[in-house]
Amino acid sequence: MDPILEAAEKVKAAGECSPRAGRDPVNLPLINNWVEAIGDANPAWTASDGVAPPAMIQAWTMPGLGGGRVDDDPLGIMTEVLDSAGFTSVVATNCDQVYYRYLRHGERLTVRASLVDVVGPKKTGLGEGWFVTTRSTWYSGDEAVATMDFRILKFKPPEPGAERPAAPAGAGGQVMRPLVTPDTAFFWDGTRQGELRVQKCGSCGALRHPPGPMCPKCGTPADGGYTVASGKGTVYSYVVHRHPPVPGKKLPLVIALVELEEASEGQRCRIMGELRGVKPEDVTIGMAVHADYDRIDDDVTLPAWRPAPPGEPLPGMVIKASTTFIVSSALATRDFQDVHHDRDLALAKGSKDIFVNILTTTGLVQRFAAGWAGPDAVFKSIKIRLGAPCYAGDTLAFSGHAEPAGDGSGEWEITVRGDCFLGAHVTGTVRVSVPGRNS
Amino acid sequence: MSNSSRTAAIAGIGATEFSKNSGRSELRLAAEATRSALDDAGLSPSDVDGLVTFTMDSNAEIAVARELGVGDLRFFSQVGYGGGAACGTVHHAALAIAAGAAEVVVCYRALNERSGRRFGQVAVGATAVPTTSGADNAWHYPMGLSTPAATVAMAAQRYMHEYGATSADFGAVAVADRKHAAKNRNAWFYEKPITLSDHQSSRPIVDPLKLLDCCQESDGAVAIVVTSAERARDLRQPAAVIRSSAQGSGPGQFTMTSYYDRDLASLPEMGVVGRDLWQRAGLTPGDIRMGVLYDHFTPYVLMQLEELGFCGRGEAPGFIADGAIELGGRLPLNTHGGQLGEAYIHGMNGIAEAVRQVRGTSVNQVPGDGPVVVTAGTGVPTSGLVLSGA
Repeated sequence: MDPILEAAEKVKAAGECSPRAGRDPVNLPLINNWVEAIGDANPAWTASDGVAPPAMIQAWTMPGLGGGRVDDDPLGIMTEVLDSAGFTSVVATNCDQVYYRYLRHGERLTVRASLVDVVGPKKTGLGEGWFVTTRSTWYSGDEAVATMDFRILKFKPPEPGAERPAAPAGAGGQVMRPLVTPDTAFFWDGTRQGELRVQKCGSCGALRHPPGPMCPKCGTPADGGYTVASGKGTVYSYVVHRHPPVPGKKLPLVIALVELEEASEGQRCRIMGELRGVKPEDVTIGMAVHADYDRIDDDVTLPAWRPAPPGEPLPGMVIKASTTFIVSSALATRDFQDVHHDRDLALAKGSKDIFVNILTTTGLVQRFAAGWAGPDAVFKSIKIRLGAPCYAGDTLAFSGHAEPAGDGSGEWEITVRGDCFLGAHVTGTVRVSVPGRNS
Repeated sequence: MSNSSRTAAIAGIGATEFSKNSGRSELRLAAEATRSALDDAGLSPSDVDGLVTFTMDSNAEIAVARELGVGDLRFFSQVGYGGGAACGTVHHAALAIAAGAAEVVVCYRALNERSGRRFGQVAVGATAVPTTSGADNAWHYPMGLSTPAATVAMAAQRYMHEYGATSADFGAVAVADRKHAAKNRNAWFYEKPITLSDHQSSRPIVDPLKLLDCCQESDGAVAIVVTSAERARDLRQPAAVIRSSAQGSGPGQFTMTSYYDRDLASLPEMGVVGRDLWQRAGLTPGDIRMGVLYDHFTPYVLMQLEELGFCGRGEAPGFIADGAIELGGRLPLNTHGGQLGEAYIHGMNGIAEAVRQVRGTSVNQVPGDGPVVVTAGTGVPTSGLVLSGA
């Protein structure tokens, strides 16, 4: 038997490790810190007789500054085993939290972890590695109140100079940058902020895209006015580009001309963009799409499209991941790992900058879902898959949709996605019950 | 109209060989084609007092004039919008002659389009040009819609959706062109006809367009000598009288991407050209013997037939079925092989073929002496001509 699997069997058989107690009971000051940093405005969290935000669960038992793992912590043991086998790098891939009930002020929590499984070796985009999944269970007294399945990939960093996988066809070169003029700058400012802005004549109200300096309907010079489109539309026409290569694009490439829902009889309103997240053979004229944003760099974000999700779309949420945001949210979640607050150490570890920690991402997912579900929603679970790191200075744009869970529970399942510069930072699902909104 | 002293005519046509690698400069190609057209007309460079080309041509009128040894030029002009300029050069020449501003005007286009800058590849500098064109390109190049085929495919997809046209309908154009090219020794695809199944199995380029929906890329040059019909009568070749010439641009017009304020399954700018051509020539589509319709991509040939009034909107698939646009059909098209079969000289070789049809010297001569129609680039501000014998 592989020595790694052998070690894993031993840890698994040992069951739950010894408990680690939270430093403080569930308390309002720490909740207030968390709410301030994450920006979740739900009054239920900050009331004197309130409950703790469920996504905060992990914060209550974080080891704190200078703290460490318990000796029999399964992740600690498996990390040592994999380190010594050469799988020295680590990246977290999944974090699935289930909340049995909400916590009240004064409750004292302990957490115990067990090993769920170790799977490998797997070839991944990062290198060969093993997936390690642990389950943490939080107890209030003897009562289990929440669990978290946490999966990491321990991998061998590729040798320097090792051959990288070939770039996909057409990926060579840079995406062509739009020429921005005084007449069109507002549009590109909008896409950068996750808005689709359609020029609107201040005099006759005509909508116009592409925009220009003078209204062709009434002759009034443009005054910078625009309307923010809902981002909903239907495919008016489309192509599937297969040849030749297009700078910065992966082929085949679907490009759609979309009629916005703001269009009306005698008032066409179309915007072109890449249609992503759909197979070329599944695209049809008339299919419903939603606006998406293809961020090229700090200056340029291209309008794009993706198929309209089923269910109800969630209102968008954009987070500016400033250094202050990253540091304050990391500390508010009691995560003292240096890569979340110390730029020098982050750079020394090969990171581009400090980056958003997972506990914060989980909190943001809760906040985003609450933006649709409302202050009375009860969160049952938050299950996320972690993607690209969100570095200081980046922007996190959340999008999602809610559907009835369809299992007779009356709950809703919210699909969430948070995009940063490098791509999807987080994808996942949130289960909530929403009083007065039975699915 | 042809009796008016102000009427212009095409008196000479000339060309280089059509190849994939000319091995010569574009200026030399321009000079060779221009000289050959003057020889055809029985004129000499000293007779020339006007030159017209495309804004896209890399050879300035004065550079061509220097090579030919032309002295004084009284008229020079460049016509914009890519292949939409083709008939426009002759239109400008005819207007200059009618106005008395010039007597002998040579229109030319020379390009090493296959061995030099290939139009079928992505023009990576297109969004960097600080002009309205550069700004227009911001709405599609960065999103990846960045080749001529892709811009046409967007309209073709909508045309198929609205009218039930199929890829096989587009293929009928390719089959007709290649059938005609197969008999034309000057065509790149001489003796290389294709079947509809060749078209259907050719590789996808930009869905719904396949490789054989796309014209070839070519090196070569064509020149056209325009003078008054009166003077042309005394020259070496039978005159091809310009019964009418026109340019056209439509509402919400862009270059290749007029997507925003119109029905995509249409070519309004060609409608503008067609109405003007018929009205000023005093003709109707029913009077036309054959046509040379710009064919950089097959779908726009169908849409041109509708815009020019040969059939109703959405009826082109039925109109072209059963060999109707092949030699012997009711409206033979592109008897030289078109740009799919002969060469891509930005539409200028099509004007030369229309002149041959008027003279009776085409390798695929359409019987009769009725007028012929020629069009220029589609999807762009464009132009057209109606020619007939004196």
